Amino acid sequence: MTSTSTPELKIVIAGIGGQGIVFLTRLISQTAVNLGYRVVVSETHGMSQRGGAVFSHLKVNGSDAPLIQRGSADLMIALDANEALQNMDYMRRGGTVFVNSKDGLRPEIAPHLERLNIRVASLPASAIAVELGSAAATNIVMAGFVAAYDALNLPLENMIETIKQAASKGAERNLKALEAGFQAGQRQIESAQKIPSE
Amino acid sequence: MNSQLLTGNEAIALGIVEQGCRVATAYPGTPSSEILAGVVKYKKRLNRDVYTEWSVNEKVAFEVALAASWTGLRAAVAMKQVGLNVASDPLFSAAYTGVKGGFVVIPADDPGPHSSQTEQDSRLLALTAKVPVFDPSTPAEAREMVKDAFELSEWFRIPVIVRPTTRLCHAVSPSDVDESSTSGEAPSAKFQKDPTHWTATPKLRYKLHTELNQKLTDIAAEFSNSKHNYIADAEAGGGVGIVASGVAFLTAQQALTELGVRVPMLKIGTPYPLPTSYVESFCALFQTVIVLEEPDACIELQIPNRDQVRGRLDGSVPNAGELTPEVMFSILHKVFSEAGIQVNASPEDGELSAFIKTLSLPVRRPRLCPGCSHRSAFYSMKRTFGPRAIYPGDIGCYTLGTNLRAVDTFVDMGASITMANGFFQANRLAGDERAIVASIGDSTFLHSGIPPLINAVHTGARFVLLILDNHTTAMTGFQPTPANDYLADGSEAPRKVSIPDLVRACGVEYLKVTDPYEQEDFTEILKEAQAYAQSPEGGVAVIIADRPCVLYDPSPVVEEPLPVIVTDECDGCRFCTEVFECPALILRPDGSRVDIDYKICIDCGQCIDACYKGFIVPKVAEVAA
Repeated sequence: MTSTSTPELKIVIAGIGGQGIVFLTRLISQTAVNLGYRVVVSETHGMSQRGGAVFSHLKVNGSDAPLIQRGSADLMIALDANEALQNMDYMRRGGTVFVNSKDGLRPEIAPHLERLNIRVASLPASAIAVELGSAAATNIVMAGFVAAYDALNLPLENMIETIKQAASKGAERNLKALEAGFQAGQRQIESAQKIPSE
Repeated sequence: MNSQLLTGNEAIALGIVEQGCRVATAYPGTPSSEILAGVVKYKKRLNRDVYTEWSVNEKVAFEVALAASWTGLRAAVAMKQVGLNVASDPLFSAAYTGVKGGFVVIPADDPGPHSSQTEQDSRLLALTAKVPVFDPSTPAEAREMVKDAFELSEWFRIPVIVRPTTRLCHAVSPSDVDESSTSGEAPSAKFQKDPTHWTATPKLRYKLHTELNQKLTDIAAEFSNSKHNYIADAEAGGGVGIVASGVAFLTAQQALTELGVRVPMLKIGTPYPLPTSYVESFCALFQTVIVLEEPDACIELQIPNRDQVRGRLDGSVPNAGELTPEVMFSILHKVFSEAGIQVNASPEDGELSAFIKTLSLPVRRPRLCPGCSHRSAFYSMKRTFGPRAIYPGDIGCYTLGTNLRAVDTFVDMGASITMANGFFQANRLAGDERAIVASIGDSTFLHSGIPPLINAVHTGARFVLLILDNHTTAMTGFQPTPANDYLADGSEAPRKVSIPDLVRACGVEYLKVTDPYEQEDFTEILKEAQAYAQSPEGGVAVIIADRPCVLYDPSPVVEEPLPVIVTDECDGCRFCTEVFECPALILRPDGSRVDIDYKICIDCGQCIDACYKGFIVPKVAEVAA
């Protein structure tokens, strides 16, 4: 059964070969499929996986075309700050970027983001993953972070279910990473609410 | 029955297994590599008896599968597009002889190109070979077309191609998988001798050629009623019509949405033989028809009257490169604007795109992995022979040796050895005795390196050949080679083929097998090999650089780690980052020094030799000091 109860969503997932872009993409897309959404993904394979730039394009309830057109992505999840900048022209006006970075994006880009009303939420996901004892779980920390913002219309419980379903040997580690990212996201949202806006 | 996320390659594999295919063969190559791996996965899940084989090359793969078809079994063979060049000899012949059991050929094209030496269009090779083609757009359609291809193949007794492209191979979408399905009674092999087909002489070949032409005429008629050719949005009006196939059909649909335009679009799923009268009757409805296909003009070429047709041939569509969403948008934007149709502007913010280009972001080109033994071999080679030597390279991970200036040429599979042979003969005529050092991987050597080596030995060529043996086909995902002790489905190989024995059997008299991690010894052997090659009795000197791929088998490094540090004396001279180019060696943004990225460093210690100033040292030594 295909459900259309969630709006069309175009997501760019970007990073570097070895950061687990494909795994993160599968986690999100499988969760969306489990909820009955239409999903089309384009993955990077082959030579680029050897340390090159790697991206996935993911469409929920959208076109069957594998790639997203520049200027039309609703969301980006970037595991690397430079790759976030590299892919920024995929974003539509009013889109949101989630980036693994301890100090956001390079300040020069700010005027453009403001002009296009593109929001950026950053989290030092690599540091959080290292604290949890596994740098390789950075991708899953970011999934939890994005879930806290409810940007994917995919409830955290459903992501947890997907990880459990996969029953891989890293499942326990991934559940911890997802939870840590989610809590960090929630703290960020709460503290933003406490600060009165200008 | 359940819904699973399948890549295009997995959907094709599932189609192969569920259609009762009994023999499936392949040689790995991006973007096709996951097809045979998928066949292995689904034959186990669906409990089907399918013989699967990673063949030594595509010609071998094609012929093994063809023989199975001639016994009446369904058979399939997969490869990347340039692999079909290797298999083109049997492809052309099999079009004439025909087949018995359904025979499906799957060459994956690579518009872009992303991981190939050419952007060639397998549909045009099929046109030349006179073999019908299905051209899927989505994973689900590819699976459906595999079914129809088997049926068409059996009906007309002809090989049939299903041609996916990179974006389809690597697209992922949900498919229903029925793990309880059965194929019914599978036929058993029964080869019947038939000299009029299986051993046709040239005179009979003429007759087979006329038969083949008749088959194509009949298939074109059949295709004019195929469900894979249909008009989308037929009721939309306007003076412009679109003919599209494959992924370009989907990208065009998306572009129409962005442009805010609706026009009728003829989707072609069977580009060869093109049902021309069906296509022409569509074209006749419009003042302008634009043909959108990848990577070249196959449909467009077959439209007899192209007066109002635009596409790759008249320059309306770029004649090279992938039809990305941006390229597609700009093609259609221009066509509609010229036809006086109101369209939306591009959603891309030109100012932002231009600004990103000014940021001088790090270019992340693919590099050899941290700890890769190819890097060590290339580093020793460059140190020994310097920039004047000629370094013919080959196709595999080690093509990335070009980053280290250790690969000067790559042409196609096995060409390192033939190019070295040719360079030697050409230089000899000019009295140029510079060193020639070729490099080739284990899988590529077995694929196409042996006849070139025999040729070089026999004709007296003198050069050094490095066989970089990392014990697997690393670039495409660790498929086994004949030198491995296991087969495609993980079962034990009845026999292993020894690469050193093969080299000796080719007549090579200088052969050393050595570990490139032992850089000092390796360098000595390189010198010795070159001395042999240039000695009066010399010839081709072969060194097998023997060390498993660190991703495939990290155990030798894990068992003997050699962690290193960069000392405070490091002056950021960039020698190690540029000449050794390990991704774990990071130059600080201010250029002051190099740090080690311990997140990706595997403690191989190979970079100790990469700092000639001695500033990269073992961690223990530093503690002791």
